[in-house]
Amino acid sequence: MKVNPQNFFNFCANHASLLRGLAERGGEVSESEAMRLIHENPSGEELPKTAWRRLRELQILVPTEPGSELFLMAEPVARLLAYLFNEANAATPEIIRGYVLSLETTVKRLARALDEEDIQQVTLAFEEISQTLRRIHADLNETQHAILAEVAHYKTERSHVSVREKFRRIVHWMERYVEPMIEIVRADGPLRAAFDETERLLHRAREESLVNDHPALFRNLRFLRLVGAYALRVFTQCRKEIQPLYESLRRLSFIAEGAARALEKLQAEGLSKWGNEYLIGVAALRFQNVPSDAAIVLALRRVIEYPPEPPPVMEFAAEKEEPDALVRLKWLDSLPDFVRGDLPVEDLMGWLLEKYPDRDTSEVLAGFTALVFHRDFQATFTDGTRHTYDTADGEIKASPLTLVST
Amino acid sequence: MNELPHLGNIFDRLKRGYHLGPDDEPEFSALCEWFDDYARYFAALGLTLVRHEREFFYFEPDNLEDVPITLPRIAVFSYIIIDHATNQGKPIEEFIFGQHFLVTALPHFTLDRYTSLLRQVDVHNVDDLRTLLNRMEQIGWVKIRGLGEDEFRFLRPFHRVFSKCLEVAQLSQAAQPDASQPAAT
Repeated sequence: MKVNPQNFFNFCANHASLLRGLAERGGEVSESEAMRLIHENPSGEELPKTAWRRLRELQILVPTEPGSELFLMAEPVARLLAYLFNEANAATPEIIRGYVLSLETTVKRLARALDEEDIQQVTLAFEEISQTLRRIHADLNETQHAILAEVAHYKTERSHVSVREKFRRIVHWMERYVEPMIEIVRADGPLRAAFDETERLLHRAREESLVNDHPALFRNLRFLRLVGAYALRVFTQCRKEIQPLYESLRRLSFIAEGAARALEKLQAEGLSKWGNEYLIGVAALRFQNVPSDAAIVLALRRVIEYPPEPPPVMEFAAEKEEPDALVRLKWLDSLPDFVRGDLPVEDLMGWLLEKYPDRDTSEVLAGFTALVFHRDFQATFTDGTRHTYDTADGEIKASPLTLVST
Repeated sequence: MNELPHLGNIFDRLKRGYHLGPDDEPEFSALCEWFDDYARYFAALGLTLVRHEREFFYFEPDNLEDVPITLPRIAVFSYIIIDHATNQGKPIEEFIFGQHFLVTALPHFTLDRYTSLLRQVDVHNVDDLRTLLNRMEQIGWVKIRGLGEDEFRFLRPFHRVFSKCLEVAQLSQAAQPDASQPAAT
């Protein structure tokens, strides 16, 4: 069904903000979402339901598939609005490559027409070349606008988008659009090659007088050179715009990644395995082996002022008496063998004091401990009343402890 | 030049791990002007004077065999503040150098994850952070004195942390050869 242009533009004129809202939202829209936008962008006395109906009648919104409850903005309308609102869509490298292929095909046809001196085919090829060049020019223009808008958006964006996310997006623009485009449009790229061949054939057409429309021929030649130079300039400029942002975001992204990795490693493996590669070394000089002047002077003075004395005489004869500590140790080592013959012992402390009444308190306790913790015996405190045990130099109060062999 | 200016002061500070930056005049200007002379002088003593590309100076540290506990503390503290800035979607360097911080308003105890990381290096509360910041002031990474109570700001030598982050990222990228390499520090 054809749409009446007058009705279409009248509706658009009265609903510019609604159309902008729909265009900015993009994607599929349900009736409720469309009604919400209509309410947010009212137009005079018109009922929202009427606006909703008109949107569909004028084919501004079309169903995603026959009978669907979801709607899309019709592609021609979306393009018109993008044009009106100066919102550019970047052409992908595939689109430009498509143009180059189309141009190459047309040029082949032109070459054949020139060989066959087919004036009609030459004219048709001329028109096609002209149209393709205009499309390339328009798309390059739009791509440049889209890239510059994106760069401006990053520079002004203050939302809480992480550095790494921003970096990923700018990398996308760099890798998806700028770099591949430069590959296509550079001086030795496929676009230039197609243009050179086109120019050669246009010259041949003129020389062989197969074109009557000389102004059109010269227009095409001029346009060829213009688009070729323009394409390279546009994307070189885009790269210049985007490169500093790319570098800066790349650096920030790596800083963020480094910090995150260091923390992640610490969290996962703990400090002991964190490793020194995450530490930032700081110099700390300690002159531990270099004495100061004052220390040297003191050392020299001590040497100089050292009073002479006879050398010590070493006693080489073997000691006659065993040291006390050794005697005590031997006694402690002998205890298990002694007690083994009396097992089971009902009251270990009582047994010790009975056998060794001359031992002082610390020795008795040492012997007691050695026996209690000896691996051959098992000690158990009884629940009996506390006894007072007299030692050689004091007294010990304790519940009796029985000792049996294990 | 016959005699290097402020040699005693410069040596005295650098040997303790201090980083001399633009806040340290007149030593900083002297180092900027006669860097090669100072570097030669210290090289004779077996010390390497480093001029960071962000324009500050420090002695190259020995290998980190005997690591004092302050180094992991400083590292964890610094990585956390970078991580916080990243999570907030803020430009990291602008966030670090573009403002004064309050010790009590730092993000270090706002997340359980951060708290647990700090616990590993024995930093448990704001008082411990204050102690840590004092140490960072001693090496010239932050400025505390002369500012308001509990206030501090990061100084240019904090760029060493960024350099370390780039190094860490580079090491991890090395395992993924397809990824873009980090930019120079």
